[in-house]
Amino acid sequence: MNVYAPIQIALPAVALTLALGVYLVAVADRVMAGVIAGSGPELRAAMLTPLRGAALAFLQWRRATERPDAGGWALAPALLGGLAAFALALVPLGPGLVVADADTGFVAFSAAIAFVMIAVYLHGWSPNSALPLHGAYRYGAQALSFQIPFLLAMLATALPAESLSIVRIVEAQATLWNVVREPVGLPLYLVVGLGVSFWGPLNMPDATDLAGGTSAEDSGVARLLWGAARASMLVAVAAMGAAGFLGGWFGPFLPGPVWMILKTLALLGLILAAGHLLARIRIELFVLVSWAILIPLALLNVFVSGAFLL
Amino acid sequence: MIPTPLVDAAFFVFAAGAIVTGYRVFRTDSMVRAAFYLLASFSAVGGILVLLGSEFLGMVLLLMMAGEMLIMAIVMVMYMMNPAGLNPMTMVHQNRVAAVAGLAAFLALAAVGLLGDFPDRPAPQPALATEELGIELLGDSMLVFQTAGVTLLSTMIGAVAIAGRRGRSGSAEDGSIEPALQPDEEDAA
Amino acid sequence: MSTEAVLIAAAALFGIGVYGALSQQSFVMLMMGLELMINGAILALVVLWARAAGGNPQGQMLAIVFMTVMAVEMALGFALITGVYRVRRADITEKLRRLKG
Repeated sequence: MNVYAPIQIALPAVALTLALGVYLVAVADRVMAGVIAGSGPELRAAMLTPLRGAALAFLQWRRATERPDAGGWALAPALLGGLAAFALALVPLGPGLVVADADTGFVAFSAAIAFVMIAVYLHGWSPNSALPLHGAYRYGAQALSFQIPFLLAMLATALPAESLSIVRIVEAQATLWNVVREPVGLPLYLVVGLGVSFWGPLNMPDATDLAGGTSAEDSGVARLLWGAARASMLVAVAAMGAAGFLGGWFGPFLPGPVWMILKTLALLGLILAAGHLLARIRIELFVLVSWAILIPLALLNVFVSGAFLL
Repeated sequence: MIPTPLVDAAFFVFAAGAIVTGYRVFRTDSMVRAAFYLLASFSAVGGILVLLGSEFLGMVLLLMMAGEMLIMAIVMVMYMMNPAGLNPMTMVHQNRVAAVAGLAAFLALAAVGLLGDFPDRPAPQPALATEELGIELLGDSMLVFQTAGVTLLSTMIGAVAIAGRRGRSGSAEDGSIEPALQPDEEDAA
Repeated sequence: MSTEAVLIAAAALFGIGVYGALSQQSFVMLMMGLELMINGAILALVVLWARAAGGNPQGQMLAIVFMTVMAVEMALGFALITGVYRVRRADITEKLRRLKG
């Protein structure tokens, strides 16, 4: 059963959600930074600063490099943002409230996550400059390592649903949420959430030690768009996490979509807090942990959830 | 259901995209760009597979190729000359023979496609294709599926044995000098 | 989207792949040619599954086997590139005149 919303509803819905989400991420990130630093929330400043920064980006001059791949450079932020929109379109907000209920929702989401690697690599390679290229290769090592644990963690959620459709995966959690059924799944998934938007402890490709990494040569609107695309990826990943592990729209008293939004916000807050509280992880260590610990752990998770279904 | 003219239009865009980007792979002067073009070609084919009702295969193709292209890019940096690939280069041999062979292959296969008499038995319900495939994978074709799995496992072991740090070709530490620009340079040395 | 049109597109991809595999000197580019050939084969296979096999799921099954072949080709190809590079410092086919140990 494939259900797709008509395009004139789907496009504005996804675009609006992402725009709101990006702004929310920018505000929440500043508020959290203030709280953690001890200077208080400073709500007013946090709400205005992202808008002011965005307006200033339009006035900034465009920096050029020697012989860049102009097409690829312009395409990279659009690709990353497009992938976020694609992933978000697969997430159901409530029963029947979904842009695209594909039979292969899980595989489609995984494909989007895999293409994030391409977007980041393109973004680092196309300016033809040393520091962005370093960032791109860092991300290559990082992303190839977390892909497999991510696929296995998501696969375990498809087992109780006996389907690859995201809607069915949520429906299978009517009595028991996946976060209880397979407690290892959500932490594994959140590692990926940090990874695909290279946030906080996993921000190696755009790190400050590379003067901004893949976005070191970006300026003006291009830089703004890249930041927005990263934030929208974060929103999409949090929404999918809420659907895949926290029972989606199920919850007492409140209507389904409200629960879904609350859960997404909770996951978003968790990821953003991790970005401020955790130290950056060295790539060698991350690769080692991914291959030697996370993959066996994720496999065990699949086996245990399979055993419960027998 | 999506109306047929729309499907037709989408098919022609995807097909033209797949062929043009596939051709650009061997016409561009940078290896990284070639890898991106190849990925674009595969993505367009993935789109056609989805249009044909094989959603799962299309998506798996996209998932697989994205990872593969990144590995290709890393291999290029490890071993190939001009790794970042924004400087022009052509590395072609027996160009004419290859072009004739490619054209001949295309004509022969296209002739088979045009002249061959294929039975007209379309798949009934594309929406069920994923479920059917899953039942087939773990039902009648279990042996084929498992064989593919074992093949992949032995490939992993073989690849690690060949490329591993202490593989049969000597120590990995020897491999960090970039290749000579001329094929016979090292023979002369 | 007639069956013939898809088959011709598949043939074109295969033909380009043949050209690439025969004409490129660099190992990686050569492998890209092989990939394009398999790409065309998968496309032809799936269109025949969708249009001429009456929805027999074994057609899709065969496409999965093709993808396995592609993965095996990539993995062993890259492993061999690594091995050859260690012994010969070679990155193009011309350097492999002698295929002895």
